Amino acid sequence: MPPSSCRPSSQVEPKSSLDAGRSRLQRGWLLLDPNAHALAAGRPEQMRMSLRNRTHDPRVQAFLLLAPAMAIYAIFALYPMLNVAILSFQKWNGLDPQRPFVGLANYQYIFTHDPVFWVAFRNTVIWTIMCLVFPPMVGLLLALSLNQKIFGRNTFRAIFYLPVIIAPIAVATMWKWMYDPFFGLFNEMLTSMGLQRWIKDWLGDRNIALYSVFVAYLWQSVGFSMVLFLAGLQNVSQSLVEAARIDGAGRWAVFKHVTFPALRTTITIVLVLSIISSLKAFDIVYGLTGGGPAQSTQMLALWAFTQAMQIFDFGRGAAISVVLLLITIAIVVPYLRWTQKHEEAEQ
Amino acid sequence: MRINSKYVSRFGAIAIAAAAFAATGVQAQDLTLWTLNFDNDAANTALKKVATDFEAANPGTHIEIVQRAVDEHKTALRVAAGSSKGPDIYFSWAGLGLGGEYVKAGLSLPLDKYYTQYKWNDELLPSAAAFADLYPGGKHGVPFTFKGEAVYYNKKLFQQAGITEEPKTYEDLLADAEKLKTAGIPAFTFGGSVNWHVMRLMDVILETKCGAEKHDALMAMKSDWTKEPCATDAFAEFAKWTKDYTLQPFMGIDNKQSYSLFTAGRAAMMLEGDWLVSQLDGSGANLDDYGIFPFPTNTNRLYGFAEYNYVSTKSKDPDLAAKFLDYFLSTKVQQDLVGQISSISVNKNVQYTNQKPLEAEWLDIFKTYSKVYMNGDQAFPLDVTTEYFRVINDVAAGNIEPADAAKQLQAFIAGRT
Repeated sequence: MPPSSCRPSSQVEPKSSLDAGRSRLQRGWLLLDPNAHALAAGRPEQMRMSLRNRTHDPRVQAFLLLAPAMAIYAIFALYPMLNVAILSFQKWNGLDPQRPFVGLANYQYIFTHDPVFWVAFRNTVIWTIMCLVFPPMVGLLLALSLNQKIFGRNTFRAIFYLPVIIAPIAVATMWKWMYDPFFGLFNEMLTSMGLQRWIKDWLGDRNIALYSVFVAYLWQSVGFSMVLFLAGLQNVSQSLVEAARIDGAGRWAVFKHVTFPALRTTITIVLVLSIISSLKAFDIVYGLTGGGPAQSTQMLALWAFTQAMQIFDFGRGAAISVVLLLITIAIVVPYLRWTQKHEEAEQ
Repeated sequence: MRINSKYVSRFGAIAIAAAAFAATGVQAQDLTLWTLNFDNDAANTALKKVATDFEAANPGTHIEIVQRAVDEHKTALRVAAGSSKGPDIYFSWAGLGLGGEYVKAGLSLPLDKYYTQYKWNDELLPSAAAFADLYPGGKHGVPFTFKGEAVYYNKKLFQQAGITEEPKTYEDLLADAEKLKTAGIPAFTFGGSVNWHVMRLMDVILETKCGAEKHDALMAMKSDWTKEPCATDAFAEFAKWTKDYTLQPFMGIDNKQSYSLFTAGRAAMMLEGDWLVSQLDGSGANLDDYGIFPFPTNTNRLYGFAEYNYVSTKSKDPDLAAKFLDYFLSTKVQQDLVGQISSISVNKNVQYTNQKPLEAEWLDIFKTYSKVYMNGDQAFPLDVTTEYFRVINDVAAGNIEPADAAKQLQAFIAGRT
């Protein structure tokens, strides 16, 4: 009899494992678990090897690493989103034990009866357009300036980025003081410059309130675009820039034909992030005007919150949220696909 | 096995105590009170002392006070309403709006038998107790505080405008406002960014123009706003007050900024609650510089609202909850609470000494009026309140005409499902 170390592995399998393998086979595990074949056949070493191979598979490793994040995402993002979608077809005030199904009634109400929904919709569109134009444009100008070798450029970069790390509600409080019509910074400055006729009720005049809020938002968000553009500018090939200059290209021509094309990916990222951030504009509006005066600065995200958490009509609040989600998808997905195709075509 | 004699003696002591507890018939009774975390810390301390004193007077009873910020409190009550558990007693506002929602949802237990058993109406201020009768299906809740709102005025500015006495009628007030305007003094200051502040002006004008009965019917949404000419008149009058007699601009400022402008002498009057006395006193203002008078609506009703404590239907021991509320409302306890939870008690037997002149004036006002009319945001359901705010603000800003205001509000009410 050969020494035990030379025996086939099936012969050294402890009886208990064999029994376990048979037992699992009897329970039908064999059909579901490929390792059970090895176990049932009494080949634990083979099974261990198989397991080891599998854990070395990058796809399995990726799945294992993603699993906790996916679980958290499913619980705290996917489930609430699904619940909001369901809630948008129900009527619920947060008090009744029942949530009766009302079909499309919540959507019908917000589209045809709600006196604020279309104001909020219009404001959200205006806000989004402004967010697409101003923060990227000002951010790019700042980045181009601070990409030059000027004195104290790192300090300036830090100064322009600083507002990004301040909580929006703190920014709102600060700007509310500055906009105060009686004692605020802006009106005091205008008074001291003899420009009293320019004095406004910045947050109380419905014709300018939304734009006043946007200025505060621009001040806070422009640093973020600036940093992304600065990162993008580091990838612009200096040899191409120099070659263009040798060929006699001026500053504008260098920017147009070398720098700008190199920034295309960064621009895409900045624009998509600007759209997403504009559609969920909430805290700075809430802190500065609360949607007033007379709901004239109301936004879809804030109106969804007001309906659900202040009026406690969760169905209508959910319906507005779903509309907002669909708008976001409708804008972002085609744009991303178009950009992707464009980049593929270039390659 | 050896048992340590020390543990034996401890166990014995506990057993004897438990037996004694059982023999005297005292059982552990727990009560949970959900209320607000009040801005005035003296109120929080006083409330805890009442609970401790009640526990001392009722051995075996434990009262847990859970305090939350306003929005968290409202959310917690909603969660409780939809579950099998909840507090024994909860704080809410009185009226069909905020407080009425929870009553309608079945969170509040009718207290008729306890009102009879403890004879609460014999010791409560009628104006404060009246809110318990607003709800269908019996009496709900007992008063926690009662807040009156009236016009505070700057005596020096009145004098400057040649006003020698407080207005007795609405017409007198209008004439005084015109005198102030002529003297270059804005009559009122309001904060428009918090909707409820400027809403007070609309509420009192509506009471003036429509009278008590029609005003109540409009707020209860039993009358059509477009078919009551007084409603349109009230919107027109409100537009006139905000345009001609209010410190401009006001839509972009809040109630705190408005208060600062009032104390800085930038406007002559402010429509505020009785709590402003302690606020003025606390900020070092000379109280003798100010006077108060109820907004003259010619209806003999006081403008105000009440905060109530309700016994929850989730309570396992409503009798004990009612007993605690009776203790809280008793003359002795309420006497101790004067100036801590409120300057004026909801108990009419409480005696007031060393009152400041403005506090004494408030006491006279409370004693004079036996009927009240509520703030719009306490009377309306939440969705209608939001629309009421929007319409009022649009009228104040001159964006919609008074007749359209009534139409838009009525259209919203009619479209509710």
